[in-house]
Amino acid sequence: MRRADIARLSELLREPMRIFVREARARIALLVNASGQVLAQHGFAGRYHVMNVAALAAATNASAHALAEITGAGRWQYMHHAGRRWQLFLAPFVTPAETLILVTIFDEHSTLGLVELFFQKLAAQVRALPEFGEALPAVGAASFEHELEAGLDRVFAPDQQGGG
Amino acid sequence: MSDVVASTLDRLSHVPGVRSALIVDAEAGVPVASELGTGASGTAMAALTASLFRRTDQAVREAALGGLGSFQLETEEGHVLVAGRPELIVVVVADRDAQLGLIRLEMDRAVEALQ
Repeated sequence: MRRADIARLSELLREPMRIFVREARARIALLVNASGQVLAQHGFAGRYHVMNVAALAAATNASAHALAEITGAGRWQYMHHAGRRWQLFLAPFVTPAETLILVTIFDEHSTLGLVELFFQKLAAQVRALPEFGEALPAVGAASFEHELEAGLDRVFAPDQQGGG
Repeated sequence: MSDVVASTLDRLSHVPGVRSALIVDAEAGVPVASELGTGASGTAMAALTASLFRRTDQAVREAALGGLGSFQLETEEGHVLVAGRPELIVVVVADRDAQLGLIRLEMDRAVEALQ
């Protein structure tokens, strides 16, 4: 995704993400595309963590997608890890523009069911946005690294600080 | 589905006026088993009732009233009854004119059977 598209789409995703975080009672949430470009975040304090989680989310999605294909299990739906205090939920959803991946962390104030429910609502809201209704121009390999950081620049811009 | 869960759900769903009955893992907010009426979403109901049960349980504990056993919601078209323990809850959606006494009795039996 190109830098200009990221800036535009990040702005559109702020409100759906804000609603998701509030309704699902999530502590941390991150929305990335299948390349690991960051589109929206809530709760992260620094770029470094976001960059790492975004890369891991994209890699997890790619691995799970491949595994589902190899085993004939169809499209994978979500990954859930329940720790002692924190739980992780990672799930992809497809839009005509591209596949997006939500990574969220929650604690005892929420449940897997609640997170999954509002993840479905988030996906439906995003799919309904006209901007996600058609394929976006691909980024060339030469400029990919530059474009990869565009989302980070966007979500950590001074006017975005404080959660959105 | 275990025999206990299946028979519990079967009894609950056959009480006159019951539209939907669910057994829900309240810690995860996901359905364990369900008999759903037309148009009802088991996953949404499980997630939301589990959240409500946990919040209400927390509230009554804060009020020094012990743990929550059950609660009932009145709606325009019927009732939502929820009973159980913090780990496992029984949810029933019933018509406005359903026999609530009979439903509560079956729910108490269900909670006991599922312990």
